[in-house]
Parts: sequence; structure tokens; C-alpha cells
Amino acid sequence: MTEKNIRAPEPRVVRLKFIKVGALQYISHLDLQRTMARVLARSRIPVWYTEGFNPHIKLVFAAPLAVGVESVCEFLDIRVTGEIPCGEIVRRLNDELTDELRVVEAYYPDTKFSEIAAADYVYKIKTAGAGEELASKIKKYLTTPPVMVTRKTKSGEQEIDIAKIISRLEVSFSEAEGIVEMSARLPAGSSLSISPELPIDALRAGGLILAGDITEEGYSILRTRLLFADGREFW
Amino acid sequence: MEQKKDIRKISGLLKSVSKPGRYTGGEFGEVIKEKANIKARFALCFPDTYEIGMSNLGIRILYGLLNEQPDIWCERAFAPWVDMEAKLRELSIPLSALESGDPLCEFDIVGFSLQYELCYTNVLNMLSLAGIPLRAADRGEDAPIIIGGGPCTYNPEPLADFFDCFAIGDGEDVTIEFTRLYIEMKESGEYTRSGFLRRAAAAVKGIYVPSLYEVSYNADGTIKEYTPVGADISPRIVRRVVTDLDAAYFPRRLVMPYIETVHDRIMLEVARGCIRGCRFCQAGMVCRPVRERSPELLDRQAQELFYATGYDEISLCSLSVSDYTRLPELTGRLLGWTDDCMVSLSLPSLRVDSFSVELMEKAASVRASALTFAPEAGTQRLRDVINKNVTDEDIENAVRVAFGFGKTSVKLYFMQGLPTETFEDLDGIAEVARGVVREYYHSPARPKGRRPTVTVSVSNFIPKPFTPFQWEAQDSPELLREKQEYLKEKLSDRDIRYQYHDVGISHIEAVLARGDRRLSAALELACREGFHFDAWDEHFNYERWMEVFERTRIDPAFYANREHRYDEVLPWDIIDCGVTKKFLWRERERAYEGKTTPNCRESCQGCGMSRFAGGLCRACGGCE
Repeated sequence: MTEKNIRAPEPRVVRLKFIKVGALQYISHLDLQRTMARVLARSRIPVWYTEGFNPHIKLVFAAPLAVGVESVCEFLDIRVTGEIPCGEIVRRLNDELTDELRVVEAYYPDTKFSEIAAADYVYKIKTAGAGEELASKIKKYLTTPPVMVTRKTKSGEQEIDIAKIISRLEVSFSEAEGIVEMSARLPAGSSLSISPELPIDALRAGGLILAGDITEEGYSILRTRLLFADGREFW
Repeated sequence: MEQKKDIRKISGLLKSVSKPGRYTGGEFGEVIKEKANIKARFALCFPDTYEIGMSNLGIRILYGLLNEQPDIWCERAFAPWVDMEAKLRELSIPLSALESGDPLCEFDIVGFSLQYELCYTNVLNMLSLAGIPLRAADRGEDAPIIIGGGPCTYNPEPLADFFDCFAIGDGEDVTIEFTRLYIEMKESGEYTRSGFLRRAAAAVKGIYVPSLYEVSYNADGTIKEYTPVGADISPRIVRRVVTDLDAAYFPRRLVMPYIETVHDRIMLEVARGCIRGCRFCQAGMVCRPVRERSPELLDRQAQELFYATGYDEISLCSLSVSDYTRLPELTGRLLGWTDDCMVSLSLPSLRVDSFSVELMEKAASVRASALTFAPEAGTQRLRDVINKNVTDEDIENAVRVAFGFGKTSVKLYFMQGLPTETFEDLDGIAEVARGVVREYYHSPARPKGRRPTVTVSVSNFIPKPFTPFQWEAQDSPELLREKQEYLKEKLSDRDIRYQYHDVGISHIEAVLARGDRRLSAALELACREGFHFDAWDEHFNYERWMEVFERTRIDPAFYANREHRYDEVLPWDIIDCGVTKKFLWRERERAYEGKTTPNCRESCQGCGMSRFAGGLCRACGGCE
């Protein structure tokens, strides 16, 4: 193994942008890591393995996604050891993936995941009383501090004011779908990362949404963009 | 037309349960078909969690095999975990299959894999969650046909009233023939529920339709006789045997679970059957004769599966991997490419008498795996009784090799409550364990300052149908507990970890293993009382089981703790698995004489299996 790695060319980082939607939103980050390692192995893309007692494929993900959240802007850095065009990487990977977990782009990155500061989310909320009035109520509620919610962190629980943290909040009612649509920007950096579930928790606690039958009511969260600190879209 | 299930419809549900990945489907490799082209929809059910069911080799084989047929769509269903079950009941949502999301009651055939007796309550619970009547007799013309297969069908009698039929033996051919007959009768318009079952019983070998037999009982509670309802109905059902494993179907791609499963790796079935004839072991008797796959084919299958899955581990599977005659050749072939592909090889179920330096080098080639050995009994005397032909020396040799490679932990499997067992045999278990610890400290290769971990796992003996011990009484729960306490004291050495099985679970397992049709009353009540996941310690409740038996006037001791007579009609006499009763009894007598029996390769013992003319028996011809 060591012998092989010495012979191998210097591994080159390739960034994959992929989507994780539908059934895949219920797959945890750990499960996704295992899945991606297998997908890379079966796609026969020459990738770099860590050295040591238990060699494994080196994978680095940007801003891990919580279970129950969909995304069209996931990033994964892999290390490729052989000469293989980026387009070929995309093609080979997608042969081994489903529509709900799909690579949209592969490229040589010149940015770092540590530069990610925020994320944009789109919420679709199906709830009793959905309408224009509820939409404006939600907007007012989430923009009038204090709106305290409990945030779970590694070191325990923490009370935060979500109204002060949320930005670019837009709420509307979609007549065609009969749902409330909401978009919001939340911190998603290494120093502070806020779960997109928190605004839902706040609205629930405030009695505005999702108090009824779970077969009738529900919501979806889609991550649409990751952003640099200056607001430009991350890539 | 969209055939796949729309999980958005159940998003509220999925967000409210633990491990939602169990219920979404949508894995890579999942088979979705156009309903319009389908003549039979088959729901392949595993009565335990997704993680366990997706690890089952039989499920992988049947899923691939059935879906290879263009006009059959096979989907999967598993037992929902208790939180999901509560939601389904609360919201009146019927249990559905993963692929289409359609309720099980809309399927043509619902097949259950019956792997262990404690899953019976889950089977009934799944039927109940699907809105399918529990009793076969209560099902209408439109209800699915409920069929069972797997190891438990060697005595399916406790489930006889709930199943329309069982497939006995290797499932590959019988499942297809059965489903084909269903399609044929549906297409010709001849189909009626009872007409189909009767035709299947008569025309498809290995199909057992319990409703076509009447059972009468003697005054002492034992069975008097089984009477077929007609001359076209066979008095015994002969087990199906795939005689040529190289020609048998093997899945070339798999459904790839996203969530972690129990056996999340390539399983390479190197052989079926076992040459050994351990007298407690049901699989060793009912899976005869030994049939091996060729190393060339196995190597090709392993490579195909690696490129289809990306798994980083290959596990060689069979009842006794080290008895595979061409093991060096196979491991040699595999190691020719697995190292380069970063794939590790694991060899489970090793026998101590065949454990060698060479084997160890192969198993350790990429990654070290834990080593387990199964001496089963603590003294040579008792090992001879059970025909486990290994010696203390074999055990010492095996662990010496393991420790020589720098291993520090070894797991040893034993059984307590075996026929003729005394407390001296239990002392022997402690002796063996201490001997292993001594070997460790004598090993020059042991890492400095590290203590060994010798895990001693002791299960309770359960008399199983179609074994030489099928007539034995199981020790009473009180005695089994006393023995556990005794062992706990004996195994207090700090380098030894003692693990034991719940006595209550073993008792119920023994009741169900040798049960007859009268147990259906107890199982039905257990289901109504909400029993589920009885194989899981946290959901098993012995007192409630006793209560169920009392309310249904069933004496569990009659089934578990009574010595059965040789001339008694046994509930599983309706099944012909190949080995003869005469052979089993002869083996029982040899057990009591402390005589061992040579394995099938050393000399043929005339067990009756040669009539299948497959595998080892094709070469032998030693039977009468």
C-alpha cells in the first residue's frame, strides 16, 4: 500500500458540487460519507487513500447538512490520483447515483470551505390557515425581537434570539400550491452555524404553524446557496 | 405513469421518527417497474428492522431473482420500529412496500423470510399493520397469498393457521415456479384462492399448504396423525434442494442501503451445507448435502459485486468456511486483486481445528477483524456428546496463532444446558477460558503492557427439529439461571468477559421451535396484546408470554421441557428435509454413548441425503 502511494502521482483536489434531495434528505451525514466512499470506489475513479492501519478514501464535506433538509448546493472535496477529466468524473459518478443524489459539477477549487459564512434556505409550509394573512404574520413574527428558541450545540443547550440572526426573510403565500413559502439566510460558518429547523421551531412554538395532523400538514426545507461573508455565492 | 412512491406525502411522518432512512426506499439499485407490464406483484417481507433484513443474503438473492422476471415486480417491506408503528396505528396508515409505497394488502403475493422463531410476533404484527386478516381461513379472494420461507419452515406448524403456504428448502426455484403458477392461473381465469393453493401443493414441489391437512391428537396431547384432505396431496413435503450451486442464481447488483446495516459488505456464499454433523445444529442437518461453489466463479462474482457496490469488505459465508475444500485457492485468487482495491477479506465461522498461520495471514491482509471460535462445550466428554470434534489442543493451537499475530482479544462461543451436561462441564468452560488467557501471557508477540480480552459467550441449548437432539428436554428456566449464576462466579477472572443469553427468550424459542398448530392461539393473542420485536431484549417480556400461555391454556413445558418419545408423531414429521429419523435417532444414541461420528468427507453415515444426488453426496453414494 505504501509502495503504491509513493508511485502514485501527487493527489489533486477535485471539488464536487452535488444535490441531495427527496429520500436522501433523511440520510445522515455519516451515512452520506460512507455512501460517497462506496460510490467513488465503484465508479473506478482513481482516488487517494489515507495511509496507515485502516486506509480509507479522503473526503471533505462543506457545511454538513442536517437530516430532513434538502439541498441543491452541497460540496465535497475528493483527492484524485490519476489523470481524469472533470467531465468524466461527473459522468462516472452519476452512473452510480440516483436522481436524488446527483453531481452537477466537478472542478479544481480555488476557495476554501472555511470561507463559507452563510446559507440561503427556501421553506415550503403546508399548514392549516395558510394564506396571505398568515404569511405576513409569520414575517412580522420572525422579524420582531425577541424570538427566543433553544439551540442544541455540542456543549449543551443555548437560548438565542432567532429574529436577530435571520436575515433576508421573505414570506409569501402560493395560491397554486396552497402553501406558505419562506426564504431566509442563516449563518453557516465554522464560528456560528444555525440549523434551518430553528425558524420552524420558533413558528411552531409561537402557535403559527403545524399544530394539526401530520398526514395533512408538513414542511420542507431546501438549501439553495452557500455564501461567502461578503454575500457572494460560494463555489 | 409514476410508479415510485412519493415520499413527500409522508414527510410529516418521516420527520417524526428515529432513523427515517429505514422507510424512504430510493436506494441505488432499487428496482422500479412499470405497473402496467406486471402480472404479479410480490412483497418480500423481513419481519425485523431494515438494517437486519437488508443484511440477509436470502433477501438479496430472491429480490434479484424475482425482479429478473420482466412480468414480476418484487418489492421490500420490513417491520417498522416501535415509534413508526405507533404513528402508523395512530394515523391508520397501512404498512407498505418501500419501492411503490403501496400497502401490502394490494399485492398478489406477500412472502415472509422466517429466520428465527422470536420474529413470529413481528410477522403477525406486520399482517395486522397491513390490514390483512391474520388467519388464512379469514382471508377473502382479494387478499394476497401469504407464503413463508427460510429456516423456520422446517417446523412451520406454530404459524400454520396464519400462512396460506410455505416453501420448504432452497428458495430459488420454488419461488419462481410458485409465482409462475399464480400468473398462469390468473391469466387463464382459473384462479380462485383455494384452487390455486391446491394446485400449488400438488404441482410445485416443496410447497406446503397447511390447510390441506387435518391434525388429530392423542389423549396425552401428542399428535396422533396428519391426514391429507385428498389423494392428490402428498403425505409429506420434500424439501427443495439446489444441487448445483455454480448454476444457481446469484445477484450481480445489489440494493445499496444508505443507512448502516448489520452486514454492510459483500457476502460471498462459498458453500451450502456442512460436513460436520454437530448434534445440536439444525442448519448442519437440514442444509445437507454440502455443495460448494467453484473458486473461479466465486472470484468472478466477488469482482462483479465489488464494481457494482464499492463495498470495502468481502465476507466468505457458509456454515463452516474453513471446511471449504478449495479455500487456499479461493483466498489466493481474491487476494490477487482485493489489496489493490482496498478491499478486506473476512472469514467468519472458523473452526479451531483448521485455524492456521496461513489462514491468519490472509484474514489479516488488509484489516484485522475480531476472532471468534466456537468450542461449544467445556470438556472433551461433552464435546464428544455433541459431536463437536475439536480438542483442547486445537483450541490452544488456534489462539496461539491468533496471539502470535499480536491479537489481544478472542471471543469463545459455548452452550449451556446441553444433554448430559453436569456442573463439571461448566467448570470446563472456565478452564478453557483460563487456558486461553494463559496462552496469551505465554505469547512472545503480545503487545507490552496490554491485557487480553477473552470474551466467553454462553447461549442456552435449544432442542431443534431435525437434529439428533430433537427429542431432548430443555433444562428448566430455573436450572438454566442457576447454571448462569454458577458460571458468573467461575468466570470472574479480570481478563475474561462473560456474556450470556436471556433464559426467558431461550425458553420461548424452544416452545416455538417444537410447537404445533395449537400454538396459533397463543401467537394470535400475543399479537392482539401488542407483542413485537421479541428477539430484542428491551421488548421481550417473559411474564407476559407466560400470561398468554396461561390464557390460551397452553403448557410451555409440554413443548420445551418434555422429553419427546421416539415413536411420537412430531409436528415437523409433515416435512421431509432429507435426513431420516432413523439416522437422527442413531446419532442420539451415539451421543449418549459419548461416541463421535466422522464427518461426511471421512465417511458416509447414511443420513438419507444421497437421494438428492447433489454436492458431496453425488460423489459419495454411500447411503442405503
